[in-house]
Amino acid sequence: VRGRYLAAGAVAAGVVALAWRGAFLPPAGGAVPRTAWGDPDFQGVWRYEGATALERPSQFAGREYLTDEELAERARVEREQAANRLAGLEGDAVGRRSVAESPIRGNEYNSFWQDHGRPRQVYRRTSLIVDPRDGRIPYTPEARRAEARSAARYGVGPFESFLDPDTGERCLTDGVTGMMWQGPNGGHNRIVQSPGFVTILHEEYRDRRIIPVDGRPHGTIPQWFGDAVGRWEGDTLVVETTNFLDRTHYEWASIWTRPSPTLHLIERFRRISADTLEYTITVEDPATFTRPWTAVIPISKLPEDTQIYEYACHEGNYAMPNLLAGGRADAARRGAR
Amino acid sequence: MSAVRIVPALAAVAVAAGVMLWTLVANRLPDDARGAPRTADGRPNLAGVWQALNTASYDIQDHAARPAMAVIPAPARTGIPGSSRATPIELPAPPVRALGAAGGVPAGRGVVVGNELPYQPWAAERKKENAERWLERDPEIRCFMPGVPRATYMPYPFQIIQGSDVILVAYTFAGATRTIHMTPAGTSPSSTWMGWSRGRWEGDTLVVEVTDFNDQTWFDRAGNFHSDALRVVERYTPASPYHLMYEATIEDPKVFTRPWTMRMPLYRIVEPDVRILEYRCVEFVEELMYGHLGVIDPGAVK
Repeated sequence: VRGRYLAAGAVAAGVVALAWRGAFLPPAGGAVPRTAWGDPDFQGVWRYEGATALERPSQFAGREYLTDEELAERARVEREQAANRLAGLEGDAVGRRSVAESPIRGNEYNSFWQDHGRPRQVYRRTSLIVDPRDGRIPYTPEARRAEARSAARYGVGPFESFLDPDTGERCLTDGVTGMMWQGPNGGHNRIVQSPGFVTILHEEYRDRRIIPVDGRPHGTIPQWFGDAVGRWEGDTLVVETTNFLDRTHYEWASIWTRPSPTLHLIERFRRISADTLEYTITVEDPATFTRPWTAVIPISKLPEDTQIYEYACHEGNYAMPNLLAGGRADAARRGAR
Repeated sequence: MSAVRIVPALAAVAVAAGVMLWTLVANRLPDDARGAPRTADGRPNLAGVWQALNTASYDIQDHAARPAMAVIPAPARTGIPGSSRATPIELPAPPVRALGAAGGVPAGRGVVVGNELPYQPWAAERKKENAERWLERDPEIRCFMPGVPRATYMPYPFQIIQGSDVILVAYTFAGATRTIHMTPAGTSPSSTWMGWSRGRWEGDTLVVEVTDFNDQTWFDRAGNFHSDALRVVERYTPASPYHLMYEATIEDPKVFTRPWTMRMPLYRIVEPDVRILEYRCVEFVEELMYGHLGVIDPGAVK
């Protein structure tokens, strides 16, 4: 049954990739840059800089594209919010929940941590998800409940032990699925290639994928980031990842962060212009989703001097002892009442 | 043209073609004189999975075998006055005693050239104290990034990914990765665990200057340490298809009286389909670091 699922997923991914090719940008012009050994060259620092959300906001239900007026308005808002970010404003003015309204009660990460630096790019699509057509993640009912539970607990607790914060707050990872297009501090990815390998270094949690592209088969050892094997299909890098660890018992983590042994990813990287990678990901996990889903994401190349900096999260995780001390104080107060 | 003249002409052409072919093949062969591979642009090709095979992770200096990294002194024995009693050698400290021989330390030759570490007097004292308080102080125990050069000779493989403008060194332990900048890349905005690495080629040697360290990392489990004034110059020199020579010169005027050097071969892992596997040890030290801090200790044994 699983094999059929995978095959269906692969076919769906292919069809969707064809159907939505150029959905964000005009088709490629000019030659694809190549490495000294002839592979398409993806090297550099990349980040998703678009304003389009993964899932379609309810206001656009039933519509896959913005109108011209909406597109212009979106562009105007992005420019305004970028200026506001540079001016040090917070909350609505920069398109974020205000610190005061945050369930973390005044301790929301402010935009300093999330600064986009320049206006985000606006695209006509109303969601990054192109399949299913409603642009929404097809959670199973149980997964939807689990997501709601973990979202409600985020930053709220109770925190009785180190197992109670999500995997990000524990400095473990935010997971491989969203690595190319999200990250708590900007989502920078540096791609480095040498013959037979494509390596992606993600700044947050210093997450790293060293993807063999040398024809080897999948290994059998389960890992947080699974077992990735790549191949070139023309100028497209196709990466298939399987053998994820089972960390579904970290139940306060969102589905993005905790690996599931039934998770299976098919990703396609294609350089559609000098400064854009078209990244297509098909996510399949019968334990979490009712069907495979696919997102197409334009990833921007950042200026040549952009660096990935060291992310010493665990080494400086003063938040964890503080969180647990807070948990003890809460418990003591409850006991005293 | 007579046949007499054609034959030498053909021979000359054949020789020329042969030379050309040989030159082509020789240029295409990715090997240098030592048989080490080269990149398309003629540089030594260090790409691959490497590992040190020594005991420097315990102690970078010559060391005798011992029962554990954490030991207690042999306790004085009391008994019948006037009667002598044998005393034990130093004993494994209680927290590691259950490990038995698996927690023991094999003897090993050091990797420090000349074996001496030129500590300033205060620093020699501090090193000794570090060794005595290993369990509390060694950053390895808490899965902190290992620093440079310690990451090189921890007992795990690491991979070099030799890109166009940067060379990545991807270590197993704690998932630490270094970016070696082969083109101008500005300066580090702050001090770091793994340093800020600038590389250049000196002939066939990759020379990497590493700066901007914090004072948190160690050189080994024996308590050898440095300050934030550390500057490391590494040299990676291909020596054969299967090994390279690694050298790290340590400068730290706050801790040492002069620069000193460690040197060791690094060996290529030759098994097919070798790859660096994840060792996300954060998950494995949370109980040690935080278990006792919660309302509930998930590791409390009933």
